[in-house]
Amino acid sequence: MEILHDDIVSLALPYRETLRVQRTSFVGGGGPRVAVIAGIHGDELEGLFVCHRLAAWLEQLAASHPHALRGRVDLVPAINPLGIDTLERFVPVFDADLNRNFPGDAEGLLPQRIAAGAMAALSGAALVIDIHASNIYLREIPQVRIAEDFAATLVPLAQGMNLDLIWLHGAVTVLEATIAHSLNSTGTPCLVVEMGVGMRITPAFTEQLLIGIVNVWRTLGVLAPDLELPPPTHTPLVADDSNVHYLNAATSGLFVPDIEHWMAVRREQTLGRIVSPLHGGTLAAVRSPVDGILFTLREYPAVYEGSLMARIMAV
Amino acid sequence: MTTPTLLEMTAPLRDDFAIPYHDLGPAGERPALALVAGLHGNELNGIFVLSRLAEFLARVADGREPAHALRGRVVIVPAVNVLGVNTRSRRWPFDKTDINRMFPGYDAGETTQRIANAVFQATRAARYRVDIHSSNLDFEELPQVRLYEPSEDEKASALLFGLPAVIERRTDQVFTSTLGHAWRGAGGESFVIQAGRAGDLQLPHCERLFRALMAFLHHTGLVTGIDLAAEDQDTHYFGVDRTLSLVSDHAGLFVTHVQVGTWLQAGALIGEVYDGFSGERRAEVRAPTAGLLSGIRRQPLLYEGDLIARLQTRTPTGSEKQVKGQEQ
Repeated sequence: MEILHDDIVSLALPYRETLRVQRTSFVGGGGPRVAVIAGIHGDELEGLFVCHRLAAWLEQLAASHPHALRGRVDLVPAINPLGIDTLERFVPVFDADLNRNFPGDAEGLLPQRIAAGAMAALSGAALVIDIHASNIYLREIPQVRIAEDFAATLVPLAQGMNLDLIWLHGAVTVLEATIAHSLNSTGTPCLVVEMGVGMRITPAFTEQLLIGIVNVWRTLGVLAPDLELPPPTHTPLVADDSNVHYLNAATSGLFVPDIEHWMAVRREQTLGRIVSPLHGGTLAAVRSPVDGILFTLREYPAVYEGSLMARIMAV
Repeated sequence: MTTPTLLEMTAPLRDDFAIPYHDLGPAGERPALALVAGLHGNELNGIFVLSRLAEFLARVADGREPAHALRGRVVIVPAVNVLGVNTRSRRWPFDKTDINRMFPGYDAGETTQRIANAVFQATRAARYRVDIHSSNLDFEELPQVRLYEPSEDEKASALLFGLPAVIERRTDQVFTSTLGHAWRGAGGESFVIQAGRAGDLQLPHCERLFRALMAFLHHTGLVTGIDLAAEDQDTHYFGVDRTLSLVSDHAGLFVTHVQVGTWLQAGALIGEVYDGFSGERRAEVRAPTAGLLSGIRRQPLLYEGDLIARLQTRTPTGSEKQVKGQEQ
């Protein structure tokens, strides 16, 4: 196994510095190539830690089973490095969501150039895993999100990822500018993983996902079929637009949850309250509209009228 | 008289939130004209001009301008992103979403979806609808009408503003989530106007924009008794293949002396790029072809691929490329 470091994008900044999108590659035999990318939003760090854990796992594999890597693994942990270095979700200066700039343009604005460089580096892979960490407002149970157009290819792969949920989405126009849509629509399978919360890492979720990723790699032939791996521990539920319920805040204030994330809830059960720091009472009680499982829970307490507080999958 | 509001909501602490608007002319009629600005809180030219126009139309409606009469209902929203104006933020400051990416909106959705829905519902029935923008902090636009796959009526009416340029553009994925696009499905005629640069007021652009709205009110018969300025009759129509975007091959410091609205010869100097450390000149930027300078970069710090200028040409450019990320 060979371990290589290079840049998939390198661009001059206005004053002296260079923006580099760095890649680590683990190269074994001539088998399939797979990739993990993260940090497309600069405030989402969970995927960076997953890349660290995968790198550690692969380095250990190189020592213990040097021939078990049959293919190639590319890790691109920070596809929006300026955002990560400045603690910004978007691409700084351009105020652009990098994940709304795909497939990009090698002669366009900086976000477009990063997108084009990423597409060139990832196209043709047997599987790309794009890891997101929600945002600073919402905490997500480990899940894969799949556009219905690509369900036939992606759901079988997602089933093996050791996650709690697969969420099938209907088509939304603006999502066509995401890296996942751009890769999937040009024949490179890309799974979008959402887990945890912005600006934090959740090591338990990382270890859960790690088991899923290496098992899927073995299925794809990236790893030797006889390599022993920890078996998956989670089987995903399947959500879609028909059974997902959104709870938006009825008024503004502080949202205080009364329950834990990823719990079964009953219809009319109180999930939390919206309170005001100016008064002792409750402004609004937040109740579940259905029997189901709470898979999104607000992490950031302040809410505006309309702010999303929870998502529940009816069961 | 209490000020009408498009939407009222609670806010966590500072005060309740409301989007006030002006509703002028015959009450109860279908609006003849809806004017919207300030979807982005830092685009001040449109906010200033619409507030000044509302002040004038209120005087007309009240009979305090006896030379003029208001013949139809006009709805004016000087600023949609009220909190963004007060905090100098382009986006909705709380969750950092762009209100002009939330259309047509949803009345039970996220806060900015509710705002978008309220704006759309209050303006969709108007016969004419105008959404006014001022680019961003980095770029200055010559006051211009932008048309996206327009009808023949819209092509004709766009000339009534008397602005120096009417520019056709193709729709793209980003445009489909804007107010301008949401209006397209509602009948009537809709226009996007770009004027100047975000972050401050450029008074010459404000004055030109004010005259443009007065010209439109005159030509559509909505306000009588307006004398038009003779110098504003020089309008040029540019089809989708008449826009040339100049992008930089270099990073560095960009300096320029040119003004928007200038007709440039082929080869004319537009600006220069310097290395901000060594001080060496890296490049000259020249007009590749003759044309009207419809936009110029005002931010000196330059990345590779940044938009430097736009030229409107009299002949097809052979390039249909639009620089993305610079939309309204």
